[in-house]
Amino acid sequence: MSTALWVLPIVVPLAAAVVVLVTSRGRGWLLSLAALPALAVGVAGPPGPPVELDWVLVGVRLALDPVGRILLITTALLWAAAGAYARQGPGDGPRFAGLFLLTMAGNVGVLLAGDAVSFYALFSIMTVAGYGLVVHDRTPSALRAGRVYVAMAVVGEMAIFAGLALSVHAAGTTELGAIAPAVAASPHRDVIVALVLGGFGVKVGVVPLHVWLPLAHPAAPVPASAVLSGAMIKAGLLGWLRFLPLGEAAMPAWSGAVVALGLITAFGGVAVGLTQPDAKANLAYSSISQMGIITVLVGVALGEPEAAPLAVAAAGFYAMHHGLAKGSLFLGVGIAKVEADERRHRLVLAGLAFGALSLAGLPITSGALAKVALKDAVGLLEPDVADTVTLALSLAAVGTTVLMARMILLVACPAAEGKAGGALIGSWVVVLVAVATAAWVFPAAVLDVDLPTTSPSVIWNGLWPVLVGLVVVAAGRAGKRWLPSTFPSIPAGDAVIAFEVAARRLRAGWAAIVSPWAASTGRRGRHAQQLAYLSVLPGGGVDRFDRRITRWRSAGALFAVLAAALVTLLLTGT
Amino acid sequence: VNWSAAMPLLMLGSSLVPAVLILVLPERMGVGRLVLNLGGAVVKVVLAFGLVIGVFAGQEYEWRAAFLPGVDLVLRVDAVPLLFAFLSALLWLTTTVYAIGYLRHDRHHPRFFGFFSLCVTATVGIALAGNLMTFLLFYELLTVTTYPLIVHRGHERDRAGGRAYLLYTITGGAVLLVGIAWLHSAAGPVEFGDTAAMAALAERDPAVARGIFAVLVAGLGVKAALVPLHGWLPRAMVAPAPVSALLHAVAVVKAGVYGIVRVVHDLFSFPVADQLDVLAPLSAVAAVTIVYGSARALVQDDLKRRLAYSTISQLSYIVLGVALVGMLSTTAGLVHLVHQGVMKVTLFYCAGNLYEALGVSRVSQMSGVARRMPLTMTAFTVAAIGMVGLPPTAGFVTKWYLGLGAVEAGQQWVLAVLVASSLLNAAYFLPVVARAWLGQPEGSAAAEPAPGPHRFEVDGWLLLPPVVTGASVLLLGLLAGAPLSPLSWAAFIAEELFAAP
Repeated sequence: MSTALWVLPIVVPLAAAVVVLVTSRGRGWLLSLAALPALAVGVAGPPGPPVELDWVLVGVRLALDPVGRILLITTALLWAAAGAYARQGPGDGPRFAGLFLLTMAGNVGVLLAGDAVSFYALFSIMTVAGYGLVVHDRTPSALRAGRVYVAMAVVGEMAIFAGLALSVHAAGTTELGAIAPAVAASPHRDVIVALVLGGFGVKVGVVPLHVWLPLAHPAAPVPASAVLSGAMIKAGLLGWLRFLPLGEAAMPAWSGAVVALGLITAFGGVAVGLTQPDAKANLAYSSISQMGIITVLVGVALGEPEAAPLAVAAAGFYAMHHGLAKGSLFLGVGIAKVEADERRHRLVLAGLAFGALSLAGLPITSGALAKVALKDAVGLLEPDVADTVTLALSLAAVGTTVLMARMILLVACPAAEGKAGGALIGSWVVVLVAVATAAWVFPAAVLDVDLPTTSPSVIWNGLWPVLVGLVVVAAGRAGKRWLPSTFPSIPAGDAVIAFEVAARRLRAGWAAIVSPWAASTGRRGRHAQQLAYLSVLPGGGVDRFDRRITRWRSAGALFAVLAAALVTLLLTGT
Repeated sequence: VNWSAAMPLLMLGSSLVPAVLILVLPERMGVGRLVLNLGGAVVKVVLAFGLVIGVFAGQEYEWRAAFLPGVDLVLRVDAVPLLFAFLSALLWLTTTVYAIGYLRHDRHHPRFFGFFSLCVTATVGIALAGNLMTFLLFYELLTVTTYPLIVHRGHERDRAGGRAYLLYTITGGAVLLVGIAWLHSAAGPVEFGDTAAMAALAERDPAVARGIFAVLVAGLGVKAALVPLHGWLPRAMVAPAPVSALLHAVAVVKAGVYGIVRVVHDLFSFPVADQLDVLAPLSAVAAVTIVYGSARALVQDDLKRRLAYSTISQLSYIVLGVALVGMLSTTAGLVHLVHQGVMKVTLFYCAGNLYEALGVSRVSQMSGVARRMPLTMTAFTVAAIGMVGLPPTAGFVTKWYLGLGAVEAGQQWVLAVLVASSLLNAAYFLPVVARAWLGQPEGSAAAEPAPGPHRFEVDGWLLLPPVVTGASVLLLGLLAGAPLSPLSWAAFIAEELFAAP
């Protein structure tokens, strides 16, 4: 019985995906229903002691710890809401519905996985199926986003694979609980830390591995963006929490690097996000920025074993807050873009403003609560570093306020025509209610963190960044005519463009090297076709080498030598 | 009846008898041929099941007859031979079904199916061979019986491919013969499993033992397509799809790899091979082959050529697995015998279906083909993901054990090889998959499906095999831990090997 309860959150969406794909019918109602077992397990807590399923993969273990549970509640709720939202849109098609359910199964499963292999397997199912969600619209921009997504995801998977192989060998078991101590003691510790940071960092979206995010989010349908930002990138965070030796070793160098990277990500996301002309790209950069803040917490946990429990709990708390708030913002932006009625549109903007202020950390919102936990954890750094980082985080909140104001301005005008249906509004309202309440209920109960007092200093610390942000926005709008009319715009994906240019140059360079040779041997046509598939390697020289060693004459010579050897053996043999 | 001796012979007979009957049956007796083909294949699968149960219960099966003075012909069923024989029996069944559908409108059926059955007989003989001489006999039989299948359609391109094939494999066979003769003159008659004799030789004359190892592996390496002996494989891909499927999954290339496995395990044994320092060079060759095959696959536009280079790369996962000393890497190598076969057979079935239904043989023509052939491309996609080694497919199970085994053996560089190969696999498979699902169809793929004679996207005989093997790619990964799964079987063998003091 207890085994059934453990596997249902994963098996129900998997089975639903199979039904949808095999029968080729969308069955939109399945989409949100399939997330309910996961939500039930998340809210009610683990349904018994961890279970082992020896037959599945190389032995699966299912378990749920407090951080996993917090993320499970967030994730399941978002998938259920996004599933309901998708009913009046892409969810009708069997392909979207099937891939949506597969991705859901992977994402939920990652949180329940109690061993390294099933964690990796479910993570990879989530990533691969998620590709289908990103490219769903099949527009050129969606296909480009998909290419970047898949290229980075595969590289990330490989780093994770190598890191996990080293870790599991060190631990002698795949059980997650044994990994961190074993990694801390392993001679390959730094290699493992680098592989895990880089591999899961792609999913987290930490600079410079973030470039897929601002391409994928605007390209994907709204409900897919909501779960991508709200839930799936949190799976990357969980990867860090599961596989880094947090609380087992003091690694000041790594800690400093990760904290710095987190801050760069937090500010860079805001800065580039401000230049985005599309609200969904703006939100994507905001997600990068917020994940940067969580990255700072992981950096804190890497520094001091004693700091780890608090920092990990704060990361779980912050992930829940950001997941729900960002989910509500994506769904809200989707609604604002289709709602034509002016009065209803204003209500939508009000809802968006609530989510935005929560994200900025206005007192009594989930953001304010999460940020108290955040600053408590940062306080465990060395005092002068802690002060700087705390100030930087407050400045990041100022930036978030400005970024969110810009996002609302981008969708401030009602749509030309159209009306948001009941499923859209209903699912969004559910998430908004969760934004308002969940942070007050679950972290205290599950993570065992102290809820912040309502002391004046706490309120002031939450309030001033928002106020400063609003003043900046007001000043910016008032001073609009003194600002240059053409704001410098950075294309979504920023650094990816450099990669793409480099790849094109490489390809063109290779073509220039190969084509003279290809022409001289009269095989230009074939080579032109080969080139179409070529991204890297290998040159004509390889082809020549291949043909030379496979020629008849060399084989004939070899044959003669062999015959001679055989005769010699037979003559001299005993 | 003495079942112990009869079972190995029955395994051979279940395809040898149909082969002879098919060859003498006239062309027009299609139904009789169908019954013989499918009947033989089903009987072989049932026998293989029986052997699995028997071997698991500790039963021993051996047939022996005098051949040359001092050399017996030996067929023996152990755990390792059974793994290969079982794979051959199962994939022969699916490929027979596929071949019946594929060649429906061709002529020369008796010749094709006759040699097809002979080819499988030879493969099972190779699997069960109890010493190198028996192995060589069936190995050469395989070489000869495969040739008519490769050149079946008789075009100039086919015959050129067939010539290259014959040249390479006959040379390889000759090298193998040299190795066997040398071994015989140095150590007398040695059978598989008789590792004491080799240990003594290694003690007495390590240089000779090393030389024998090198010559044997070089001979076997031709069929195993180790770089630089791989040249025939991309050319032999001109064969009809069912032949390519069998050739790349179970028959020819597997015979070479399987031979290497037996030479390392059952002739030299790990401790001796390790002591002779011959495994490090072998693993280096395997690593080079893995990366080289993948890098060459990247630039092939012809789908079957791309698959052929991919085979070169994937086969060496098996060689690498047995060349790294350790229980986990041995498990990986053995289980990949099965996993590579199932994945690659699926890909070739799908390539054949694309050609049959749409006339598509090049990657550049594959845009949007999934709209017309969703089931075929689903199977292709699953198998391709397996080739990249992403979970939860069979390919992942191999890669995971190989990765762990490499770390266990202290050879961390192998991880880099695996990562590089996986990235290259992703680079040459995933764009194909994306193109098929997301591209704009053109040419024949864009045309409305004509109201053809089939209920499905293609003849049901052609659709069932890839669907079954494609599902197996998933199941072999998902249920890898189940009892009697190939992984459990391979792990059982590896434990036996390393449990001995």
